[in-house]
Amino acid sequence: MLNVSVVSPERTLFEGQAESVVAPAFDGEVGILSHHAPMLTLLGSGRVRVRSAGGEQQFTVAGGFLEVADDRVRVVTERAETV
Amino acid sequence: MAKGRELKGRIKSVENTRKITRTMEMVATSKLKRATDRVMAARPYATAIAETIANLYSPELAERFPLLRQPATIRRAAVLVLTSNRGLAGAFNANLIKEARATIAKLEREGSEVELHVVGRKGVGFFRYVGRAVATTRTDLGDRPSATDASSLVDGLMDGFIRGQLDAVYVISSRFQSVLSTPPASERILPVAAPEVKGARRDYLLFPSAEELLTQLLPAYVRNAVYRALVENEAGFQAAQRNAMKNATDNAGEILTNLRRTYNRARQAQITQEIAEIVGGAAALE
Repeated sequence: MLNVSVVSPERTLFEGQAESVVAPAFDGEVGILSHHAPMLTLLGSGRVRVRSAGGEQQFTVAGGFLEVADDRVRVVTERAETV
Repeated sequence: MAKGRELKGRIKSVENTRKITRTMEMVATSKLKRATDRVMAARPYATAIAETIANLYSPELAERFPLLRQPATIRRAAVLVLTSNRGLAGAFNANLIKEARATIAKLEREGSEVELHVVGRKGVGFFRYVGRAVATTRTDLGDRPSATDASSLVDGLMDGFIRGQLDAVYVISSRFQSVLSTPPASERILPVAAPEVKGARRDYLLFPSAEELLTQLLPAYVRNAVYRALVENEAGFQAAQRNAMKNATDNAGEILTNLRRTYNRARQAQITQEIAEIVGGAAALE
């Protein structure tokens, strides 16, 4: 299980548990499952998809970065909207 | 009973004023709630970006980033003063202006040229009154400042700093420590002071590179510092307005008690006098 949060300067769009996260990195999509190595990557623009047992949630983001460490995923972006 | 009528008029007038201040207090209370929610909502982003920069930062990299350039002397500095568009908030704006003037005076004593950027009608009005040249003014920010507002304020200043036209940028705003404590503060946002690392550094896989990540994150960090100043300033304003209106309502209550007491005393004095006159008149007839 991953602890995922999607934050923008104005608010936290998502916070909770998920099984996988797919995000638009600057050079193509990255998928993250649990036990991922600690990673920091720049994001491009596109959709972040957070998949959990209850279903999938999507967010459009532009810029910012994604951080993974100890099964904690943070999507930090200046512009984000819930789809 | 001329005095009585006059007192009645004043009681009515104070009652009406109290109605207005009480309403404004309630409006400010609800806006304050919303503004503090926004201050809280801004924290996770600020923490995340500060932690990440602290993790990536190293003195060797620092020399390559214009935003981290530490000028030996500050020849030209920009001061961004945040004030409110509206008044009736006690000493809120006066405190901010005082802080701004202290910062400007200090910079000028050290021999730098200061360009002034003012946000909010109250600040604009003040600096126009004292006849100080102001580089830019903004009075169009509402009570819900957005991250876009912040970047429109600071992007030009960041450009100036990168090109070397500015050597430092300060923001004057009120810190929102609590509802009762919103002191004015002056913060230097440029050059960026790299945040401190808390705990051990982690070894991350970096894509594309630490340098590239910092290139993106440093401007975002500066923009966020201004966004935070905007939301905290707004919350500070609502808190100050609420306190001012609460004091006004309390004072009106006190004045009313006194006025009513005086009125009743005058009324009773008159009744006593009338009775005395009647009794006197009746006695004269006997």
